[in-house]
Amino acid sequence: MPIAELLIGGILLGGVYALMACGLNLIFGVMRVINFAHGDILAVAALSTVSIVVGLKLPFWVAVVLVPLASAGFGVLIHVLILRRIEGAPLIMSLLATYALSTIVVNVAILIWGGGYSGLPGVLGGAVRLFGVNVSISRLVSFACALCVSVGVWWMLEYTRFGRAVRSVSQAPELAVISGISIERVRITTFALGTAMAGLAGVLVAPAFAIDPQLGSRFIIKAFAVIIVGGMGSYPGAILAALLLGVIEVVGSYLSGAVLGSAYLYLLMLGVLLVRPRGLLGAGIRI
Amino acid sequence: MNQTILAVDQVSKRFAGRVALDSVSIDVARGSMTGVIGPNGSGKSTLFNIIAGTLRPDQGSVTVEGREITRASAAEICGLGVARTFQISRLFSEMTVLENLVAVARGLDDRAAIALALELLEFLEIGNIAKKWGSELSYGQRKLVEIARALMLQPKIMLLDEPFAGINPRLQNRIVEHLKALCAKGITVFFIDHEMRIVLTECDLVYVLAEGRLIARGDPNTVRNDSKVLEAYF
Amino acid sequence: MRNLGSLGIIGVVGIAALVLPLVGSDYATSFSIQLLIFLILAYSWNLIGGYAGYTHFGQVSFFGVGAYVGSLLIFHWGVPWYVAAAVAGFAGAAVAIPLGGAMLRLKGPFFAIGMFGLARVLEAFALGFDCITQGGTGIYLKPLSDLRPLYYVVVAVAATMVLLTWKLDNSRLGLKLLAIREDESAAEALGIPTTRLKIGTFIVSAIAPAAMGSLYAVYLGFMDPPTAFAPNIELTTIAMVLLGGMGTVLGPLVGAVALSVVNEVLWANYPQIYLASVGFIVLLAVLFTPRGLVNLGIKGGWLPAGRPLFRRLALRAGQTP
Repeated sequence: MPIAELLIGGILLGGVYALMACGLNLIFGVMRVINFAHGDILAVAALSTVSIVVGLKLPFWVAVVLVPLASAGFGVLIHVLILRRIEGAPLIMSLLATYALSTIVVNVAILIWGGGYSGLPGVLGGAVRLFGVNVSISRLVSFACALCVSVGVWWMLEYTRFGRAVRSVSQAPELAVISGISIERVRITTFALGTAMAGLAGVLVAPAFAIDPQLGSRFIIKAFAVIIVGGMGSYPGAILAALLLGVIEVVGSYLSGAVLGSAYLYLLMLGVLLVRPRGLLGAGIRI
Repeated sequence: MNQTILAVDQVSKRFAGRVALDSVSIDVARGSMTGVIGPNGSGKSTLFNIIAGTLRPDQGSVTVEGREITRASAAEICGLGVARTFQISRLFSEMTVLENLVAVARGLDDRAAIALALELLEFLEIGNIAKKWGSELSYGQRKLVEIARALMLQPKIMLLDEPFAGINPRLQNRIVEHLKALCAKGITVFFIDHEMRIVLTECDLVYVLAEGRLIARGDPNTVRNDSKVLEAYF
Repeated sequence: MRNLGSLGIIGVVGIAALVLPLVGSDYATSFSIQLLIFLILAYSWNLIGGYAGYTHFGQVSFFGVGAYVGSLLIFHWGVPWYVAAAVAGFAGAAVAIPLGGAMLRLKGPFFAIGMFGLARVLEAFALGFDCITQGGTGIYLKPLSDLRPLYYVVVAVAATMVLLTWKLDNSRLGLKLLAIREDESAAEALGIPTTRLKIGTFIVSAIAPAAMGSLYAVYLGFMDPPTAFAPNIELTTIAMVLLGGMGTVLGPLVGAVALSVVNEVLWANYPQIYLASVGFIVLLAVLFTPRGLVNLGIKGGWLPAGRPLFRRLALRAGQTP
């Protein structure tokens, strides 16, 4: 078994999962909303990136800047139109709402971009030699970006004033109000940031993988697996779990084929849900 | 007959380093009305929840009719003939009052369950609200329905969590009358509350908690004049 | 009198259903089979999601399991389709027994996601273990020459589910399930055997979908993983119950009718936006009528509040001196 290759491949994949999972955690932590549409935002972002680069013939870095911003804007829209109205309703309602939203986004995406696959073969092409393994530059760059942003968000939460505000809203909203923090502003900003992260993940995925509108559905359940295995609401947990699951998926695919490789992730998620619901490291928060 | 039906023995509980209860012991006699009072933070709720089975003590034991229920779940304790109300009423809001009561009835067929429910509503003088939705009731009505619902279980022991909180004195007096009628029928009534007026006049036995410790025990007259109690409250 | 209201509606619908194949076209029969299958799925989901309050996104797991059990029985051993459906139903229950014990310990959203994950796992298994399931190529079954026996079986199952729901709604068991939905720990503290009831409901909610999966395979003449575990089956089922009214007798019926109207209008003219529209409807329902159209009717006073049985018995009890 080509261990180095599998390990590296898994870790690189895990980087993107980490970015997704951190975005989900951010949204869940502050708003107690589980955003089913997160994966589809990634897919639309990836498809938009292709349109920008191939269709509009603009440089890749334009997409890197524009798409996350647009995703953030979309996030604000979702929050104001949908999520704000169901604050206080049982958690299942937000799940249903985002599940419905996910369906809408996927099918609108199919309308716009068609159901087939596309990609960005020309961008970030080529490979480097790393630990004796040929690694494609696009995957390396996407991993580096994803990890930086994930760690950056975690740093922001721990050490900046805004981060403290976010944490206090997620842990004790009543106290946050008393300290003069505008909960609504924190919520909007957080949700926008979370969706921006999904958007960025989409941009990073575009050069490295083949993308289609259904990509989101495949990513979301893996992102759920990551945050459950890592412990819901825990950032270091999400990052570590993302890398772990990336490796498991790659190894599993090598051993049993791509389809069953993904199944191992879901099985691990189910296992953790049943045996250690607070995540493998016990770092998660209780609902 | 003055046998002990509920006994709490040297129960202690800590929450994240803070002592909530420190070696508290309580005896409740069968058919009596026993009350526990104490200022905020005295540990009354912790004690109540340990007895009701929603919390486990770090040390000590709780027995009902000699059977240990320290580690038992709320459902198991309910099975032993203990029924409880909730401080913030937890009625089933998408059901009518009648349905709320009938839902918990055990060991009775439909007709008998409805008859018992109507009887209990009459007993508590709220027969006219049987058809109202759980979500439409006033605060006082909710408290009364909570009591009725607990009584549907035909319990030996009624545990009431702050039954007098937030309701007007007239209704409080009526509730006391109903509780005394229950004691007359042999049901043991145990409650925690802030409302000193009631506890210090109507109970057979009063316990006073402060900062997790038992500071007084006795009949209302004794406790009323106990210096430690006065100190704790004023 | 009011009580006959819902039974009356059901009766009228029932008669129409029985008469349909005799007077309607083949297309109508075929379309109705699909509608009825969804109706059955909706009524099943209504039990665990609407009454017990354990909403989840994995209903299609049982449908898919039943589809494959049934298809394989027919394909390999030529089992008659109605026997295959019955066995599929048992298979659904058999899968639900251990699953229920494990999954129902999870709290709300975890349970929902867990079941969703399960559906994806099963789909992956169906694709991956192609030595058993024929994987992506799918299983081809001999199509039925006459759909009418299939139609009547589906009608019978639909009628059973509706009547079962009606009976449940008018029973103390139904009240206990609602109590679990409203406040599970309070219900437990008051002596309601929540675990037993949850698992039982979960198992019952798995039987009909599994049987329908098998019948759907026969109806289509074909089964493959994306068809067996299609997320849009899940979405449509939930949409019907949510729109109609969770935890009510008429809810899934109302929802099914409403959605098939949407289906008819959209699928014929604008099929590409059909799924997006269903999603949109679910969204609107969550935002504006989370308790469903039937509950709107109750609060608006057109439908009576409370379960009829208890009102009747209470009235009678009130009259005795």
